[in-house]
This record gives sequence, structure tokens and C-alpha cells, in this order.
Amino acid sequence: MAVKAEASKETEAAEPTPDAVVSLVGISKSFGGAAALSSVDFSLRPGEVHALIGMNGAGKSTLVSVLSGAHMPDTGSVVVDGVAHPGLTPRHARDLGIATVPQRRDLVQELTVAENLLLGSLPTSGGLVSWRRIRREAKSALAVIGVNIDVDARTADLSAAEQTMVEIAREIRRGGRVLILDEPTAALGGAAAEEVRLLVKRLRGQGKSVVYISHHLEEILDLADRITVLRDGTLQLVVANEDLEIPQLVYAMVGDHVVSDRPEQERTPGETRLELRNVSVGHRLAGLDLNVAAGEVVAVLGPAGDAQSLLFPILSGRLRPDTGELTVGGTPVRLGNVRSALASGLRCVTGNRLSYGLVGGLSVDENLLLSRDRFDRRIVVRWKDLRRRALALREKFGVVTLNPNPPVAALSGGNQQKVLLAKWLEGSPEVCFLEEPTNGVDISAKADIHRMVDDFAAAGMGVLLASSDVHEVLRLADRIIVVSAGRVVGHRDVATVTRDELVALTVGESTHD
Amino acid sequence: MTDLKTPAPIRTSGNAPLLSKLSGLRFGNHIGLIVVLAAVLVVTSIGSEAFLTANNIINVLRQVSVIAVIAAGLTLIMTAGDIDFSMASNTAVTTAVLAQLISSGVPAGTAIGIAIAIATAIGLVNGLVVVLTGAASFVVTLATATLLDGLALLVIDGMSVSSGDSLSAYGSGELLGIPYLLITAGFVCIAVGVTMKFTVFGRNAFAIGGNPDVARLSGIAVSRNKLFLFSLNGLLAGLAGVMLLSRLGAASPGNAGLSLELTAVAAVVIGGTALAGGRGTIVGTALGVILLGVVANALNLLGVSSYYQAMSVGAVLLIAAVANQLRKRSAR
Repeated sequence: MAVKAEASKETEAAEPTPDAVVSLVGISKSFGGAAALSSVDFSLRPGEVHALIGMNGAGKSTLVSVLSGAHMPDTGSVVVDGVAHPGLTPRHARDLGIATVPQRRDLVQELTVAENLLLGSLPTSGGLVSWRRIRREAKSALAVIGVNIDVDARTADLSAAEQTMVEIAREIRRGGRVLILDEPTAALGGAAAEEVRLLVKRLRGQGKSVVYISHHLEEILDLADRITVLRDGTLQLVVANEDLEIPQLVYAMVGDHVVSDRPEQERTPGETRLELRNVSVGHRLAGLDLNVAAGEVVAVLGPAGDAQSLLFPILSGRLRPDTGELTVGGTPVRLGNVRSALASGLRCVTGNRLSYGLVGGLSVDENLLLSRDRFDRRIVVRWKDLRRRALALREKFGVVTLNPNPPVAALSGGNQQKVLLAKWLEGSPEVCFLEEPTNGVDISAKADIHRMVDDFAAAGMGVLLASSDVHEVLRLADRIIVVSAGRVVGHRDVATVTRDELVALTVGESTHD
Repeated sequence: MTDLKTPAPIRTSGNAPLLSKLSGLRFGNHIGLIVVLAAVLVVTSIGSEAFLTANNIINVLRQVSVIAVIAAGLTLIMTAGDIDFSMASNTAVTTAVLAQLISSGVPAGTAIGIAIAIATAIGLVNGLVVVLTGAASFVVTLATATLLDGLALLVIDGMSVSSGDSLSAYGSGELLGIPYLLITAGFVCIAVGVTMKFTVFGRNAFAIGGNPDVARLSGIAVSRNKLFLFSLNGLLAGLAGVMLLSRLGAASPGNAGLSLELTAVAAVVIGGTALAGGRGTIVGTALGVILLGVVANALNLLGVSSYYQAMSVGAVLLIAAVANQLRKRSAR
């Protein structure tokens, strides 16, 4: 098929792939003079899962925004079924079957699954909403993609994985044949992520094309037919899965080999710094015991949303457990009280940065010293002094910003995470709790953060880690407590455990229905 | 400048030129408001010779002084993510109580002290209800506003109660040609502005309004801060009551109350303070107050029917809301 004349200027150099459903040809896009993409090509075949990877700021989001019509490219063209579409709008892209499932769930939480699936086209009879038809059509929309979820459930009661599946079902029902999935398994545990991956494989079997954005290399190797790597807005590598080698992929992403191995020297744990005894929360957590000593990293690993996700609310004082005791540095701490938790010296770093960690609208500097200045009972703000102290923290924790002092919400995930760690660990507490410390950050920031945790442990800090990422746990922890369905299912020493054994423990039969 | 642009970097040089010192006040963020204000000034001064006279300008500023004090308190509490609809009703109660005390022979100084103490206590009660029950401040203070409006009528028994001459020295007096009322309002605005920018209490308001969960987890005593904010707003409402009674010389039905409050809220919103909290500037509020005062005065001088004058607050608010939204959209 011929490319329409309007786009010919830019398409002379590179032709769209002939058998592609969608091609992006020579796409360039700048924002205020900074090039986000420079002449990037991308193509998607029918029934293909095409992974798009790169570090934060590599241009992945911009590229899929161009594909979905949200951004107009400066040069280059979007070719769908061999026809160039200059001036593609989001609505037009959707009409062409290009659908986006954003990382942030886009469902109305108070409505039922069925209503969300049919939102915007609720079937009516005689002018009134027909609930019978809504339920029937919703059921068939889920059945088409082989998902079994109660259509009458309130959407807010679904797990994150189920919400993603409902979103995918909605897009397929609306005629989506090119699906852009933006980190669909971010913050999902082993079993839940696997369910989403199985769904993606089924979609491929049905001839749908998928653009798959992910930070998890293992997952990409499992899933993708082809992989495109972006770095700094340029195309680095397009490779078929079978030809791929991980070092080559990592090199394409970071331009340098990232060392993320465990430090050589053995850690020698000192005296106990934190102890939890018999902590229970309804049926979500049954009698958890654990202790953390100085200079060791103890990980609680479980499927996303399982017992380990209750540790932040409990330890920070937001949630009072039904039973249990907490001792920090030998002193009992009143549970369910934020001030007592802070006074104990335990520092809790949330995995949910912008909800429980940082005030998005405040500047980086103010966020860095938000808690320190309150602990010190300061009364007056001296901005010069604040800036000087913040600068020291930025340097120590490797926070990099383009503008002098932007609102923290404007930073990349990796930099936000470093601000968060700096805010809580600046005073070198004796013991800290880290929840999913590398959630949604790029590979190099992840390596930085891992090195930081190593250094803190080496300096004698006791670190409790909650994670659903097996690799991270193996990278960081000395001891691993595996939880599943609210119970401890195993204690392992990192020296004697394998990755497969840990994954098998978390994906125990009782974890998911 | 756009909303998404980063705030101006903190200046390190102590002897920066005047222009950049002024830009530290971020007038740039209010450029739209300044342009509109300038346009109103130009158009009106063409239509009316009386407009751009020192007398008239001083008069306008004297009239908006009471609203400015209420709006200053509102700016602080709205930045912290709450709202106090009862301030102007509290002001009405203050004028009523103060006038009754003075007319029954209590010395002015004592009477002012009692009236302001009552106003502060009313603010504290608002805060206690909001903090202890967790009810939305929008609903709680709307309820207390109507209660207080009624209470004010009750205190003066629906009549006009004169405060005699005891307060007129303050209400109509001047220092170097500047009315005391305006000096008071300017002092309050500067104090609130300095509090918001240079005290931890003020920055706490931004943090609480931006994300109350993070504020609490960061060691900010959120409840205590809120109680203090509501009490402070009660105090400012009381001060506004003293100013209002000094200007009018008598407490009458309908002096203050909810309709005055809505004008103050409008001025704050016009000034760019976010209803959702986390963002607010006293400079914007002051400009919003002045704009509303100038528009009312302009319509008056241009001989526009008083019915239209009553509509002007709504019209300005609507235009400001739409303009803010358009600006946000173009920033994306």
C-alpha cells in the first residue's frame, strides 16, 4: 500500500515496514527546545508483542503518546495499515483501534466492573439503562479475553491485576487491536503479574498487537517477540527475542555496564534494633514475628498486596494492628500512633512516594527537609540555609534536577525516590524500614539505590525491606521472610536459597483463587 | 509564567537589584490579574475624572480594608486545605457585641478585648469540631456561619446599635494621609505573607494542604496546626469586626455575614489560591481584594445601575476562574 503524499517529505529516508499494522517513521519531537525523540522508527506487526524499554526519560512515553495521538510529532509520520495519518488525534487513534492502558488505573472506583466496561455506551431500553444487558455484555467482554471477574463487584474492591485486566477488556471491547500497555505489572506480585502476562499471551494468540513497556527484563524476555531500546530519545536497538543477550540489552539501555552485584564482604549483624511480636491484622496478617539487627538487611517478600504491604501502615503508626508488640532499640513503641513511631527513631520509607512520602507540589528542597525541620522544632524558615542543607543531601543521595528547585512531582521516578530516601535517612537512623524502594525507577537509579542500602547496612544501620521483587530481595537481603496469604511461609538465608525456590514460595496455591 | 514552570530559584546574592527583589514576591505569577486591574483603571479614568484622584483611591482602599483582613485569614486556611465560611458572620457577631458593650458603658479598650476574645473562641470552636469529628470544614463553617448570622441579630435585637464616637478616631483617622484602617489591613496582609513564606507554621499549611497524610507522617502536628489556624481566623474576623464598627459607627443587621464572606472567598480565589489546598499567595489575594473594590467603585462612578454593581463580584470571579483554567490548559 502506498503512503499518502502528505507524509512523503519525512518518509523518504525510511519506509514503513510492509507487513506492519502500525509504523512510526522518523519521529522527532522536542519540548521547549529539548529533544525528547530524534528520528525514531518503530513498527508493530499483527499478533506481535513488541517491548519498548529504556530508562526514565529515554522517550518511551513520548513515543507511545505520538502513537496514540496525544502528541503531534515535529517530523515523521504515523502509518496505520499503510496509510499515513498526519495530525492524528487521540480520538482518531482510538477509532483506528489504537488503545492505551495507562500505568495509572483509569477506572471509576465506585462503579461496578460491568459499568466500567461499558462506560460511555451503556445499553438502554426505552431510554432507561438496561442492567440485564449491561451485565450480559460485560460478561462477554471479559469472556472474550478469557478473564473471570465478577462483573457486579465494586471496582475499588478488585486487586490491581484485576483492574488492569478490566481495562484491557474495555479497550478490546471498544475495538482495540493495537494495545499500548504501560508497565502493566509494575507493583504486582509474582502470581498477579503472571496472570497479566498470560493475558497478554492470549491477546497475541488472538492476533492483537501489543506495545509493552516494562522495567523488568526477565518479563520482557518471557513475553516479547521483539524489543526496541530507546536511550536519550534515540533508537538504540531493535532485536528479536531469540537473538537477544541481556548484557547487550542493558548496554543499549544505559550505555554502560551497570554493576548491581552484591558486595563481596560478609555483613556481621550486631544487637537487635527492631522487633515485631505476634502482629495480626484481621485476616490479612496472622501473627507475624520478626527482628532486625544492626548492620543486616531483612526482607519480607510476598505477592503484591500481601502481608508485607501492611508493614508500612503498621510501622509508621497509621494502622493499629489487632494484636502485637513493637520494640525499637529495646524500647516498646505504642502501635497505631504516628508520633510515637517517629519518636522511636524508626524511619519508614513508603513505596508510594506521592501518597505517603512527599508533597508533590512543594519544592525538592522543602521536601528534603520536611521532617528534619519539624523534628528540630524549627520556627523560622531561612531559605538560604535550607538550600545549603538541601544541597548537601542532594549530593549525598545523588538527586539530579534540571531546574534549580522544581516541585518534587516534576522529577523522574528515580529522582523522586532518592529525595524520599534522603528525607528519611538523612539523620542516619539506627533502623529503617524500606517499602519497595525501587518501585518504578530506572535501572541506573535502581543500582544507585541498591548501593545506598549496602552502604547504610555496612555502616551499621538495621534495614527491614518489604518487597515483591525477588531479584531485589536476593540482591539486598541477608535473611528473607516469605509471606503468602497473610502468613509466614518460610525463613531463608540468602546464601542458601535460589530464585526459583523463592518464586515458588510466593506463588503458593493458596495465594490467589 | 505558567503553573508548570518551576518557582524562581532562591536568590543567593544579598544586593540583588530592586527588580529581581520584587520578582521574589512573584508578581509574575499574577500578571493576568495585574493586566486586568490596569485595564479597569485605564477605562474608568477615561470615563470618570473623579476616579484617579488620591481621595477616591484612598477611599476605595479604606473600604476594602475589612475584606482584606478576612481574605488574608482565608488565604492561610485555604492553603492548608480547609475553608472557614464563618469568618464574616463572626465579624458580624463582633460588631454586635462590641456595639452593645460600648453603648452600655464599657470602656472601648476593654470592650474590644472582650469582643476579639469571643471571636477567637468562636474560631477555636470551629477548629475543635473539624478536628475532633473529622467533618468537612466546608460544611461545619457553613453551618456556624448561619448560626452566627442569627446570633448577631439576636445580640442587637435586629436594631441598629450605635457605638458613639469612641471608635471614630480609629475608623476615620489617618496617619500621613493614610487611613488607620488601611494601615491595619496592610499590616495584617504583610504579617500573613511573612508567616506563609518565612515560618515553619506557614510552610506546614502548604504541606497539610498539599498532602495531609504526608504532613502527619513527616512529624507535623496536623490537628494542632488546624486548631491554631481556625483560632487565628477567629481573631482576624474579630479584628475585622472592630474595623467595620469603627468605620460605620453602628452595628446594624446585614453589616457583615455570609454575603461579605462570599466576596472575601471570591477575592482569594481570584488571587489564585487553590480551593483544594497546597497553593496560595497573599499578593494574589491583595490584588483580588483591590480588583473587586476598584470594579465596584468604577461601576459606581460610571453611573451603572446598582443592580449591575451587585453582579460585578460574580462576573469578575467567573472571568478569573475561566482565565485560570485556560492558562492551565495552555501550560500543558
